Amino acid sequence: MTRRGAVPPVLRRTLVSPGGHCYRHCDGRIRSVHLRSGLPGVWTVRACPTGVVSVTSYAEWTGRDPLRDVQRALQRATFPKTLVRRWDLRTATREGPELGREAERFLARQRPRRGLRVVYWRVYPFKAKDATERRLMLCRRRAHAHPVFFAGDPSSAEWGCPICARRSR
Amino acid sequence: MGHPMPAAPRPRRLTIVLAKWCPHCVPLSVVHGRRLARQLRVPLRILDIDKPREERAADALVRAHGDAVPDYLIPQVFLEWSNGDVRHLLTGFSEQVPRTDRAWRDLFASDWLRSVRTEARA
Repeated sequence: MTRRGAVPPVLRRTLVSPGGHCYRHCDGRIRSVHLRSGLPGVWTVRACPTGVVSVTSYAEWTGRDPLRDVQRALQRATFPKTLVRRWDLRTATREGPELGREAERFLARQRPRRGLRVVYWRVYPFKAKDATERRLMLCRRRAHAHPVFFAGDPSSAEWGCPICARRSR
Repeated sequence: MGHPMPAAPRPRRLTIVLAKWCPHCVPLSVVHGRRLARQLRVPLRILDIDKPREERAADALVRAHGDAVPDYLIPQVFLEWSNGDVRHLLTGFSEQVPRTDRAWRDLFASDWLRSVRTEARA
């Protein structure tokens, strides 16, 4: 038995999108990082080698709208949690024909019909109160129990993760 | 004399909701959209969300049939049918432009498109 909402391998393969470069921040190649949460779907963070996040996505094979759960899960992993704003979350339904023949046929066979729902979280760069630029960054240091999203200054010598800073005091 | 059978619904119009500044939309989705409209033998309607009148129509279409959130993703592609049905075909892939391109190519190679074209020819 698979967990309700879990993405089967045939659909999981359609979520893979290798390549790409960090947009405007650096020329580093984007890497996809998978995260885990209490939700059944697949989390993917596209980030450059310095940790600047391009986009975070959550995909679930479901008939429901996972947006609220995604917002709550992101708020739990983000400091401050006010960085997770409703209008930065955008949904996409993958119907089948645009996912390749294998996934299309798989989805067509399923009863009741369920689509692949994807929620994207994209935070555009913004200015902090001191006028320095802030970007969404991901800290995956083992010091914390889970990866941490935070607004950091990529040009700063300090890493800037608030959880790491709190621990080192 | 029997009653005539209702005619099978046919594709009527392809609509793309887009913005001109969006690299997933222009030129990528416009080029693919023109090709798809040609294959389906339907007109292509483009709704630019930066033009107020078109934006209202785009918002209504996305709210009723698409991936609707306050600041929704573009492009979104819809096929309208002669019986009034509307089918959401594709939403852009935020990951990167080449992924949206792949989605269009998969749509062209899909069983769904082949069956629609076969039925339209019948």
